[in-house]
Amino acid sequence: MRASAALAVELDRRRPGRTVVRALRSAAPLTLVPRAGAARPEAGAAAVVHLVSSAPAPLGGDELELTVRVGPGARLRLHGVAATLALPGHRSVPSHSVVRIEVAEGARVDYLPEPTVVTARAWHRAELRVELAGHAVARCREVLVLGRSGEPAGRLHSAVHVRRAGVPLLRQSVDLGPDELADSPAVLAGHRVLATEVIAWPDVVEPAGGDWWALSPLAAGGALATALAPDAVTAQRLLANARAAHPAAADLAEPAW
Amino acid sequence: MTDPPSPAALILADSRFPGGGHVHSGGLEQAVSQGLVSGLDDLAGFLAGRLRTAGRLAAVFAAAAAHAAARRVRPAHWVALDAELDARTPTPAQRAASRAQGRGTARAALVAWPSPVLADLLAVTPRPHHAVLVGAVHGSTGGNAGQAALTTAYLAVSGPASAAVRLLGLDPFAVNAVLARLGPALTELAAEAARTAADRPADLPAPSSPALDLLAEAHDRHHQQEVRLFAS
Repeated sequence: MRASAALAVELDRRRPGRTVVRALRSAAPLTLVPRAGAARPEAGAAAVVHLVSSAPAPLGGDELELTVRVGPGARLRLHGVAATLALPGHRSVPSHSVVRIEVAEGARVDYLPEPTVVTARAWHRAELRVELAGHAVARCREVLVLGRSGEPAGRLHSAVHVRRAGVPLLRQSVDLGPDELADSPAVLAGHRVLATEVIAWPDVVEPAGGDWWALSPLAAGGALATALAPDAVTAQRLLANARAAHPAAADLAEPAW
Repeated sequence: MTDPPSPAALILADSRFPGGGHVHSGGLEQAVSQGLVSGLDDLAGFLAGRLRTAGRLAAVFAAAAAHAAARRVRPAHWVALDAELDARTPTPAQRAASRAQGRGTARAALVAWPSPVLADLLAVTPRPHHAVLVGAVHGSTGGNAGQAALTTAYLAVSGPASAAVRLLGLDPFAVNAVLARLGPALTELAAEAARTAADRPADLPAPSSPALDLLAEAHDRHHQQEVRLFAS
């Protein structure tokens, strides 16, 4: 299956400070659902859009693409609603998903998908590319789970690229599979869940950390929160520890629904 | 890879090379103190994982730097390689360890193999990343990208292996055998790194090492509180 979905939000010209969804194109299995009330946004509030998977996906051979544009000064929160299960397909080829996010001057995006579970025999390649304008801010979370409970993991290659004004802030990829490498104390140290959150904020960040989590300032600005855990719930809690150590913690708190 | 290794490759890979590498354990000291590595089997797993993650990243950049040095690239290329490796090294502790070893190696290299390429590189990045510097020395002394990758990947595991002997009192013969068993993986990884040596810096692979990142940061935090044998 090939699917290409797109989302664009921008400030409303007639109502200053209000972000509106300007364009939204779902393509099964990538279904974008604006939260109720998005037609009457509050000043300064983010447009909230849910990313719903409307079919079991990705399957081997799938090519899924999502393009997101956040216009100057606009704010977007893009949420997942359920874990993504990477499943094996009929053919022995990988599934491939690409998410591209462009954030214009003065804009903010929070990209918070739910965990990706790499089921047995799956072969999935995921790519996230974020392009920030000089004064844009973004945070992007990734939670990778090796297999469902008690299940060996399939193969996963996941790459994250974040640039600000063309300067690379973060590039990293992880290759996980059913081999013993994840058990290595140098890779996942026997953990089943790897969670990261790029926090591309202007604040100067001091390194912080505890048992299996860290908040680390990146060389060219912004920070990376990393956590390793036996399960996704613990991983999220450790990521919350890292966010709490960030100078913009109040800004990064999870909204109560 | 059928070429004989350059003498510079042997000198850089020698544990007696005065580049300051012996003070780094590559995360092994912290892994030992957290009880993750206590014997030979754990060490073998640690080294295999380190090779495929941090070792591969270093090999990729050493190969690219060797290729760049042989072409006598403009200084802007060294700046780009430096920035791209920074973006692939998310923790300050890992960046500091890489640059400390890069600087130490540079001081020895400037005396041993002075060249316009090395001068260019150090003019724009006075504290270079270790892998870039090691690659540049290879490329400026007639070595190829695959040799640079092999040297760097070997250093990514040989340092922690000798640290294991000191930290855990393991049998040096047995530890050496663990290292030797990584031979095929080293060869494969070096050949793979050589294949991307001519890629644009932005397009180079970016393998991460999440647990090593966390261990490096934990080591830094604890280093300030208690005495450690190694700087990383």
